[in-house]
Amino acid sequence: MEYISIFFQYVGQYLKTRLTYRADMIVEIFSDLLFQAVNLVFILVVFGHTNLLAGWSKDEMIFIYGFFLVPFSIFASFFNIWDFTDRYIVKGEMDRILTRPVHSLFQIVLERMELESLFGVVTGLVVMFYAGDKLGLEISWYDPFIFILLVIGGALVYAGIFIALATIGFWSDSRTDIMPMMYNIGNYGRYPVDIYNKVIKYVLTWILPFAFVGVYPSSYFLEREEWYTYAFLTPVVGIVFFLIAVTLWNVGVTKYRGAGN
Amino acid sequence: MQNIIDVQGLKKEFKSFSSRSGLKGAFRDLFTRNYTIKTAVDDISFTIKKGEMVGYIGENGAGKSTSIKMLTGILTPTDGKIVVNGMNPHKEREKFVKTIGVVFGQRSQLWWDIAVQESFRLLKKIYNVPDQQYEEHMKDVIETLDIGPLLDKPVRKLSLGQRMRCELAAALIHNPPLLFLDEPTIGLDVLVKLKIREFLKRINEKYGTTILLTTHDLSDIEALCERVVMLDEGKIIYDGPLKELRENWAEGKQIQFQFSEKATLEELQHLTQEHLVVWEKGESDLVWVASVDADETVISGVIGKVTAAKKIADLKILEISTEEIIRNIYVEGAVRHG
Ligand SMILES: Nc1ncnc2c1ncn2[C@@H]1O[C@H](COP(=O)(O)OP(=O)(O)OP(=O)(O)O)[C@@H](O)[C@H]1O
Ligand SMILES: [Mg+2]
Repeated sequence: MEYISIFFQYVGQYLKTRLTYRADMIVEIFSDLLFQAVNLVFILVVFGHTNLLAGWSKDEMIFIYGFFLVPFSIFASFFNIWDFTDRYIVKGEMDRILTRPVHSLFQIVLERMELESLFGVVTGLVVMFYAGDKLGLEISWYDPFIFILLVIGGALVYAGIFIALATIGFWSDSRTDIMPMMYNIGNYGRYPVDIYNKVIKYVLTWILPFAFVGVYPSSYFLEREEWYTYAFLTPVVGIVFFLIAVTLWNVGVTKYRGAGN
Repeated sequence: MQNIIDVQGLKKEFKSFSSRSGLKGAFRDLFTRNYTIKTAVDDISFTIKKGEMVGYIGENGAGKSTSIKMLTGILTPTDGKIVVNGMNPHKEREKFVKTIGVVFGQRSQLWWDIAVQESFRLLKKIYNVPDQQYEEHMKDVIETLDIGPLLDKPVRKLSLGQRMRCELAAALIHNPPLLFLDEPTIGLDVLVKLKIREFLKRINEKYGTTILLTTHDLSDIEALCERVVMLDEGKIIYDGPLKELRENWAEGKQIQFQFSEKATLEELQHLTQEHLVVWEKGESDLVWVASVDADETVISGVIGKVTAAKKIADLKILEISTEEIIRNIYVEGAVRHG
């Protein structure tokens, strides 16, 4: 409970700071929107010629992209840890974090949040409604709840993978390009996995389960019953990966060496 | 009196990897890497009682910061036992850090972009300090450190001295019974140093706060600490009262003669041959310094012999400064026990 009240204190502080630099915020929202538009155009171009890819229609693809944006934006708002090694290990900022009575990962989440990215949730919803309407999808009363559950699951998958990667910094502070690479791999999750070969499909499901951020949960709303098992596994996979990542993190903290000034 | 800090056989090793040269070396590094082990803190033991102010000193790289990081739960010890405020710092970190305050002079603990006051507010929330306690305690802290006018400025706009005072205040938001200060006066001017010392003395008296501080400025230690722990290459080489350290090392005094006429070493040595004296030349041919035992008969004996034979313009008896004592100890790398 205490964590929730700390969370809101930080959010309040964040908004206050951001409002004093209003121009920055607008630029950021605008660039996010632009980025999302580019991605959407990409899908439209790819599907400009073929209307079906491995049995998925253009509108279904657009719907999946819309869904993907929601957990991804939540992840991007709260888990800005792609530069964790540089910022906290090499510069020794972790020292400060570790002298405070709140879980270290939670503190980093709070310090690094970028609430502007939440705007992507709105974009995602708009895209989903647009595509869903074209597909003639029906919404039942319990769908919003399932939606929230699947979104949380998807965001946890993303968070889990990136936290696990960040913990590498506790063991080795050498520079790697693994983070940007992982962002690219993450993008594969927004296309139906059956367009890929078996190995990639397996990897995206069980090793780097990005498919649980886009295509699997979306298939529930698209009424693709053959994928329902995967769709409902989303929260489970999310929680499992997140817990593994947090455990790795906790072990990592005991290996922290600090920066020798 | 109870022990606030109890350290037994504490040790910290850092493994550092070195890379081989050339392409072939890089390839071999992939499989087996060369590493060396650096023992930063080597089997130290000490205890600190409630209300003590202890100076933790040593040369650069002696292992002071590393020990403090282990005592505050930041680093996991390689070996040894630490109990601070009745807890194991690393094992129960989150609960433990509520009972300590930490200031690293080299590194800011505050948020760079936001006003000092806002930083305080976030910290108040993090430490879950009740409003009333915060008001009472912080009002006093802010007044004594004279940081009232700085509160609405962002940290990045503060000068070093201003920032350091705010850092101290921030470390005390939850009024911890134990305070760790790693070089809190580094780079500060004399006035700010004095203010900080005064402040530390005051909280020590008022709240019985136990303080462990490292510094390279021995006047900090002289002003604040009765006890010093001296570290050299990761080992404790002295732990005891500052006074005793001075007495054991500065058993001697220095007598500085300013002659009206030129004097030579042979001449002076000849004059004082019945005493144990080391003569050293001062700033000019006219100034000579005699280092002698702090023994009245010796001192008056030397002065008597010299003044009887030569005209002098000035005479001073000097105590050896702590600075000099410590420097001598660093050079010799061990402490004589008297
Ligand atoms: N993270 C680290 N990795 C490797 N070696 C380290 C690390 N931190 C400290 N060391 C080494 O441990 C030794 C002790 O360092 P420490 O920072 O504790 O010294 P110190 O007494 O605080 O010195 P100073 O007065 O310069 O602050 C040094 O030789 C340093 O190089
Ligand atoms: Mg240091």
